[in-house]
Amino acid sequence: MATETSRTRHYATVARSRVSRLGSAVQEHPLTWLLPAAIFLCVFLLYPLVEAFRMSFTNMSLIEPDYSYVGLDTFSRVFNSSDFWSMTRITVIFVGVSVVLQIGLGMILALAIDYGVRRGLYGSIVTRISVLSAWVIPGIVIGILWKIMLIETRYGVINYIIVRLGGDVVSFLSDGQMALLSTIMANTWRGTAFSMIMLYAGLQQVPEYLQDAARIDGASPLQRFRHITIPLLMPVLFINLVLITIYTVNTFDMVLALTGGGPGRATEVLALFMYFEAFNRFNLGTAAAIAVVMLLVNVVMTVIYIKYLLGEEEF
Amino acid sequence: MATRSETDGRLDGIDLNRYDAATYVVYAVAIVFFVFPILWVISMSLRPEGDVLTYPVQFIPEDLTLEAYRQVIGQSRTWLWNSTKVAALQAVGILLVCVPAAYAFSRFEFRGRQHILFGILLFQMISPVVIVIPMYSVMSTLGLMDTHLGLILLYVGLQVPFSTWLLKSYFDTIPDQLDDAARVDGCNRLQTLWHVLMPSMLPGVAVVVIFNFVFSWSEFVMAFTILRSSDLFTISVGVFAFDGQYTAAWTLIAAVSVLAILPLIIMFIVLQRYFIRGLTEGAVKG
Repeated sequence: MATETSRTRHYATVARSRVSRLGSAVQEHPLTWLLPAAIFLCVFLLYPLVEAFRMSFTNMSLIEPDYSYVGLDTFSRVFNSSDFWSMTRITVIFVGVSVVLQIGLGMILALAIDYGVRRGLYGSIVTRISVLSAWVIPGIVIGILWKIMLIETRYGVINYIIVRLGGDVVSFLSDGQMALLSTIMANTWRGTAFSMIMLYAGLQQVPEYLQDAARIDGASPLQRFRHITIPLLMPVLFINLVLITIYTVNTFDMVLALTGGGPGRATEVLALFMYFEAFNRFNLGTAAAIAVVMLLVNVVMTVIYIKYLLGEEEF
Repeated sequence: MATRSETDGRLDGIDLNRYDAATYVVYAVAIVFFVFPILWVISMSLRPEGDVLTYPVQFIPEDLTLEAYRQVIGQSRTWLWNSTKVAALQAVGILLVCVPAAYAFSRFEFRGRQHILFGILLFQMISPVVIVIPMYSVMSTLGLMDTHLGLILLYVGLQVPFSTWLLKSYFDTIPDQLDDAARVDGCNRLQTLWHVLMPSMLPGVAVVVIFNFVFSWSEFVMAFTILRSSDLFTISVGVFAFDGQYTAAWTLIAAVSVLAILPLIIMFIVLQRYFIRGLTEGAVKG
């Protein structure tokens, strides 16, 4: 009886140590730790990407179950359609102007706050919080916020101010060009915070002794900015440029809520064009082809970004 | 030489005051430009329907009323709760998935590690918009259309790259000696991770949780495509649907919008530090 118990106990110990040895072998393999992330990555990013490419070679439709592979036909139809090029033009204007404004305003704010903090001026923190609050608001709500601001009668608050200043009511959203300008303004409102924060962080990296040395040598603030701050800020500026270009190319929700792509199709950026193609006009194949084009823009920008990061520091 | 630097010094003094003034002007313009739309929508939400079309425009409503909120709170409450639920569960999910992965990237040497890391960075730049169309078929195949579970899993997937990179960069700041000491004391890897490394990881975990929470709370395009029943809408989808349904009922639309942004703005003001950290680290380190 006693031996029986001890034998059982012995087996139990052996089994436990085997389990724990197996457990430790499992733990010592990196794959164990990587597996959950790998599964999620494959199911929700890699597979959809591959699927987007596959769909772009078909004439798939949202309402008909049958489809066939048509090679590059979908792409050639996309590239030959004037719609695609006019939406691309709108997107390029939208992205180009937004990016310039965001970096410009972000730079002014970063410099002002950097200076204000150094000098202990009032309002530095309040300014920073104000700018950043715009950035935490969901894109959909930003669109609606600006739609309310831009109501096209003298009851709309911006038009009210314009009328009070002696101007005429401006068709912010029903005139094509004005609508594009309005979406750019709303997007700048949203995105400036990101540039401001990045450039501000960049400014903190500029060694103070360089500025001091230049000041002693009699360099004016403008010269110091031009010859010390800007060159040292170049890496951050570049990363900022790449990132906000990617973000802006992919803007969808804010424009959808603000103009819905209108009036007509005056503000239909590529993301909206793609979405409408799929879910309003049911052309999944064409939509996937547009998605692939957008994807390539993203990938090219990202590769530039990664190459740059690799060049900047040793990994 | 001496005179020149003296003159410069004096000019510098004058300039500095001028720069102070310029800075204050920048501050004032920025605060007005960035805060006014938010204040204006709050002001719109606090007036009776009829007072939207008054001339001159009332910046502060004469008749303050919560009527608009009373009308929208029923639906908004559901949407806000949905968003909170999805965001909280997604944040838990992302930690379960990404802490181990980040640990592996930081603590194991294996072939192709750098390449995989940069591959992941490539995925980080893929916007949900670009894959929303195939995602529609992925979710249909998995039977996850119109479910919160589907949305949560999908958000975890989308956020794996950002979260893994950020957590890895935090693991990298913890010296290996800490692991070695724990191993000598008989901790296995899991115990080391949990008892020894995680306490030092808390700031990084906080940044990751906050960014994921905000992302899931307000994400639009995926939720808009996957959720069909209005009972399941998250707040972004709800606000958009509401705007479509009650065209030009500005006080109501404003009230829903305010409900959608207040939690985020309060959270942002309280946790500002972490937001800024995540913004700069997420971008500069990858």
